[in-house]
Amino acid sequence: MKPRVAVFDFSSCEGCELQLFNLEEKFLDLIKIVDVVSFREGMKEHSDLYDIAIIDGSIMRPMDAERLKVIRKNAKTVVAIGACACIGGVNKLRNQWTSENVKREVYGDADLEGNPLFDVFPAKAVDEVVKVDYYVPGCPIDRAEFTKVITAIAMGREPRLPNYPVCVECKLRENQCVFELGMFCLGPITRAGCNAICPTHRDGCAGCRGFLEDANMDALKDVLRKYNVPMDKWLKRFDMFNCKIKREK
Amino acid sequence: MKSMTKDQWFTFVDGLIQDDTRDIIGVQSKGKRFHFGFLESVQDLRLDHDVTLLPPKKFLLPTHEELFRFDISKLFEVSCSKPDRPQILIGVHPYDVIAIQQMDAVYQNPPVDDIYEARRKNTLIIASDILSIADRSFAGSLGNHVVTSGYDLLVTDLGDTVVIDEGTTAGRDLLKDFGEFQEALTPEIERVKRLRAELPARYKHKLKIDKFRWTELLLNNYTHPIWDENARKCFSCGTCTLVCPTCFCYDVDDVMDMNMKEGKRVRTWDGCLLRDFTLIGSGEIFRRAPVDRYRHRFYRKGVYLPRRFGFVACVGCGRCATQCLSDIADPLNVMNTLAASSVEARMDLPIPHEEPHRQKGPVFMPKSATIIRKEKMTKTDTFYEIELDSKEPLGHQPGQFVEVSIFGIGEAPISIASAPEAGRSSFELLVRRVGNVTTHLEALNVGEKVGIRGPFGNGFDVERLRKRDLMFIAGGCGMAPMRSLVNYVLAHRSEFGEVSLLYGCKDPDSILFNADLNVWKTRSDIVQKFTVDYCQDGVCWDGNIGVITNLIPLVDFDPVKTAAIIVGPPVMYRFVIKELKNRGMTDENIIVSLERRMKCGVGKCGHCQFNGVYVCLEGPVFNYGDIKDLPEAF
Repeated sequence: MKPRVAVFDFSSCEGCELQLFNLEEKFLDLIKIVDVVSFREGMKEHSDLYDIAIIDGSIMRPMDAERLKVIRKNAKTVVAIGACACIGGVNKLRNQWTSENVKREVYGDADLEGNPLFDVFPAKAVDEVVKVDYYVPGCPIDRAEFTKVITAIAMGREPRLPNYPVCVECKLRENQCVFELGMFCLGPITRAGCNAICPTHRDGCAGCRGFLEDANMDALKDVLRKYNVPMDKWLKRFDMFNCKIKREK
Repeated sequence: MKSMTKDQWFTFVDGLIQDDTRDIIGVQSKGKRFHFGFLESVQDLRLDHDVTLLPPKKFLLPTHEELFRFDISKLFEVSCSKPDRPQILIGVHPYDVIAIQQMDAVYQNPPVDDIYEARRKNTLIIASDILSIADRSFAGSLGNHVVTSGYDLLVTDLGDTVVIDEGTTAGRDLLKDFGEFQEALTPEIERVKRLRAELPARYKHKLKIDKFRWTELLLNNYTHPIWDENARKCFSCGTCTLVCPTCFCYDVDDVMDMNMKEGKRVRTWDGCLLRDFTLIGSGEIFRRAPVDRYRHRFYRKGVYLPRRFGFVACVGCGRCATQCLSDIADPLNVMNTLAASSVEARMDLPIPHEEPHRQKGPVFMPKSATIIRKEKMTKTDTFYEIELDSKEPLGHQPGQFVEVSIFGIGEAPISIASAPEAGRSSFELLVRRVGNVTTHLEALNVGEKVGIRGPFGNGFDVERLRKRDLMFIAGGCGMAPMRSLVNYVLAHRSEFGEVSLLYGCKDPDSILFNADLNVWKTRSDIVQKFTVDYCQDGVCWDGNIGVITNLIPLVDFDPVKTAAIIVGPPVMYRFVIKELKNRGMTDENIIVSLERRMKCGVGKCGHCQFNGVYVCLEGPVFNYGDIKDLPEAF
């Protein structure tokens, strides 16, 4: 029996779901090993009977949290895909302001009182609301990594994310370090798995896959100082996908 | 010595490129730096490079290399096509030639890595003299700025002419087949000699301590503050190991094709600086602190490899120094600092009993085997009887281990739980469900196939134990390898003195081999004591409750005549050994079996190493006295 897969989106640009279609002919191979039973971006049909739920996007509202809890209950396995779902990503930038301030900034004086669509709490990663079994991090996700994780789950094998920094993949691709090119990079503290795509294209890593559990932040700060990177620049880059600042609960 | 005009040289290289039978790999520019890549045009070849980003090891041990293919839709199907495409590396600097010689020594040391060997046999090396010196290189201080062997041809680009030294007949044949050349003139040879002679003085960075004294210096400085100071700045990013021409540890993993039928076992580069390098299925990480990983790299280069092979495994290329962002990887800085501020706290870090290895044939190819009996023993442990499909006996000693493969999932080291018996072709394993492989093993049934490699390692030396009193101390699933020895001893009972068995488990439900224990209980010639950490309510238990060390005072033994054999979880050893020593037992009478991440089984991949010791070669069974002073052992 092929595992039944459903894809759900929350607050995100849905680019990670688009990445699944970007698999092109490999997507056709993928649906030979799994049955896709729900995927708003790709099909009209929907079923609540699924084994694997794939979640794209951050959780921003009580109504989203409720929907997510139902999905968790239905699914045997929950896979978070993309920076928004895995770590909150850019959505968490918004947590630097109160919800009131954000609403005023975006919607001005419009009357949103009592409208559940606008009832928001600070942005959360999926695992801040329900248990997540596996992650495919990144903004957007790496297609090869996604396939690897799904085939592993289909094999009944636990997919493991690399526990080492992006530098490893950068070295394997024999890139010149972007620090040497006059730029800066969060690669030394960021979880690998993207095949160092940004440094390979001569751009510093922005940390979209999340920082490593035992990332050496102090060492990176020393390096940034050594290379004279202005602090406001690197602080902004730290926050882009990994914003920890919170104004309200 | 031969010489070519520049035009003749270009024609020679062009001829090699046009000849389709080989891959021609040469140094090319990459941005402001250099790399080894497939040559498409002779114009791309550079001989004025300072150093390449990655060393040429990537063409001998590719970053991602298929070991064999399998098909899981068939009962047991593996196929291996060894690398057979000939290749020529052009522009290899002397320090890299020396690094390749070191890699040859390690990989072709028995048990020979047959995949590496196949690739190496098909490789010709056209070395080139150093024209530009890399900013952080100190090869001059190590004498690695020149080479006298290890190449097929050695070229020196003098601008107008290229002088060529023929290192091997294969090199000479290549020259004959593809090139037009002359005998080198005396002035040309003089220019080459001068170029080489002037090199050392051109190095900005100089080592203040002779490389032959590195081992001594490191042995005196295991506790030097530099390790902690530098490790604080370490990202554990592995850059220093990846770019190093003499770091060649690897990981092995199974990758499935999208059809979920076929797949391949691949090896990929790994490095001891990465956190999970020593991670085992149960979650234990043996070299967890960054400082231990940081220090290990230097000791491998300066102590462990020199001890085994006689060479210092640093060639002074300067790649790690250039590419380490925190600039802590440079052996020159570390050695010079140690030399200037040696703490003189001597540690020996010995490597116990190196023994010749019996492994022969392809090292990675598992043998087909069938599960002929399976018994669930506890919630997490399953017992298997397995037979090689060739019906050959495994040929193991008590205490050895095998690598068990499930294609598509991977391979795991499992200790053998049965004693070798004459005429018996099957063997037994006890498998605890901890990782991917063991979880899948649990789901396999009688009649299904697994792959087996081994037996590996050194087991219990039963000859040395003969006539002695024996005390077996087992904790948890340490009972599995212990059972192979206990059964052996009981089968040859008259050859041994007093025998006792102390066995501790988490709770009564996790006790393994109840059937064996019941048989042993009927014998009066083996004293048995049991303990559990705790006993659930309502469970019948007539043994002790508490830690295993509590059992030791219950046994009457003569510490001089008795050998204690300890197998258990890592945490157990320290306490048990302390208790035994309190009772007057000497180090020589204590034997232990250690758990590590044995991956290749043949002493190459590096994962099971503690200090200079490969558990898969010298272990897993050790005399405590041989390893007690190794800081990474317990």
